[in-house]
Amino acid sequence: MAIDQLILQGTLETLLMVFASTLIGGFIGLPLGILLYNTSENGLNPCKRTYQPLSLIINSTRSIPYIILTVLLIPFTRFMIGTSIGTISAIIPLSLAAALLIARSVEDALQAVPKGLSEVGVSLGATSLQTIIKIILPEGLPSIIAGITTVTINIVGYSAMAGTVGGGGLGDLAIRYGYQRYDTLLVFIIVVVLIVFVQAIQMFGQWCVNQCRH
Amino acid sequence: MTSPETHLKVEGIYKAFQQSTYSEKVLSNVSFEVPKGSILGIIGKSGAGKSTLLRCLNGLEKPDTGKIYFEGIDITSLKSSELRAFRQKIGVVFQSFNLLSSRNVFKNIALPLELLGIPEPIQKDKIEKMLKLVGLLDKKDAYPSQLSGGQRQRVAIARALVVDSTLLLCDEFTSALDPHTTVEILELLQELNKTLGITIIFVTHDINVVKEIAQKVCVLDQGEIAEKGPVEKIFINPSHTVTKELLSELLKDNLPEFIQHKLHQKGQENDDLVLKLVFNSQTSTRPIIAELIQLYKVPINIMSGNLDHIGKETFGHLVISLKHNLTSSDQIIAFLTENHVEVLQLGYIKWQ
Repeated sequence: MAIDQLILQGTLETLLMVFASTLIGGFIGLPLGILLYNTSENGLNPCKRTYQPLSLIINSTRSIPYIILTVLLIPFTRFMIGTSIGTISAIIPLSLAAALLIARSVEDALQAVPKGLSEVGVSLGATSLQTIIKIILPEGLPSIIAGITTVTINIVGYSAMAGTVGGGGLGDLAIRYGYQRYDTLLVFIIVVVLIVFVQAIQMFGQWCVNQCRH
Repeated sequence: MTSPETHLKVEGIYKAFQQSTYSEKVLSNVSFEVPKGSILGIIGKSGAGKSTLLRCLNGLEKPDTGKIYFEGIDITSLKSSELRAFRQKIGVVFQSFNLLSSRNVFKNIALPLELLGIPEPIQKDKIEKMLKLVGLLDKKDAYPSQLSGGQRQRVAIARALVVDSTLLLCDEFTSALDPHTTVEILELLQELNKTLGITIIFVTHDINVVKEIAQKVCVLDQGEIAEKGPVEKIFINPSHTVTKELLSELLKDNLPEFIQHKLHQKGQENDDLVLKLVFNSQTSTRPIIAELIQLYKVPINIMSGNLDHIGKETFGHLVISLKHNLTSSDQIIAFLTENHVEVLQLGYIKWQ
């Protein structure tokens, strides 16, 4: 394949992996982060018996180097997709990583909402659910978006390791063609594409944050 | 249990915070009654338990023992769903305003109405009425970050009262405001108290706030009520040392350091006798000092003094010194006491 085709294909694979896994990760991570916040010491319904095990699982999973996590998840991926090879299969471990990262950053964002605001909810007679939906989430939204932006960029980095399960993508291309075959030009081009890519994610995230911050 | 005009009645509240090894008493034997439409100030130094008391009043904290009756219902025995319904009836204003930065003024005031599920057209009417009352109609689309401290507190007051609350609890609501803005907010609260007939209970460490708007005052010291009663009575005749300390801030009645150093308790002829005269409204309009000088032909040196007003009452004090002479000094003190001036002998000063 010609270089430009390789790069085009790699870019599309990276796009697919990053956005699909961030999206799936968001669907899992957002509720998980809210649960973590709500059961934490500063939350609306502190519950050590929920918070501590959950926090422990998340921390230990996050401690596993990403490439090991991918390999560990091969049986699960095979169960879900039918195969453990390819771009779609690479999305499964990436989604898990994204979900855990997002859960933590959502928890942090909500923890940073001043305690006085959740007390407003309580003193107005709101239920916990109402307080979270009407007060905590809107107030934490700029930080949540900033957190998800950072997670997305992390996932771009993780996706480079998708090559080990045949997931493809720009990172994989850079390792196989550039690093292993000493193709400096290719590495250079890929790095430039990735810089533009990450920059675009960052700018878009910042734009969203600015839209909802008053 | 309670008379019909009583809005809130607190009976023998005790509250301790459990630490890991010991429990720390925060409130003990706190009782008072708040009539409908009145303004009660709870004052105390920091750590006196004021904020905890206020949190007990809206059910954010539960006292260990004691009862709190709101419109005759004991709120300490309510289930959590009933407690939520109760909280919807009372407004709370916080020291740090606690406005939602993600909502504009209009939407901030709408929050309690949204929680009650009130339809939007009705919401709009109520919010605009409140905005008019607090004088912020032109700011309804502004976000809290674009408002001054005083404006933010106005929004917070509007939010607290928009659900037709009859009781407003204010927690150190002037601490984050400058003196000028404080006066404006106090005037607003007084106006709301008159026009809407709402009952206001506030905690503060600032005696000026109590003086400006409260009708009754509770002085809290180390979790207990040091004294309570009508503001004029407590201010004119404070009995507890904490009250006196707080009042001295208002009256600035501390003598200058150098004079305090010179004061001694054993008087000799030719020393100056230093007296503190405390006036109440009966005496403060009479030229007592002039009468004194004419009657006893004594030169009187006024060392410090202050007069102030609470509601319609005038009160104040003067610190004077005069040549000590065993017979005339006693006569002078007797004359003043006869004329309803409270006399405190601070001591003697030998000049030079």
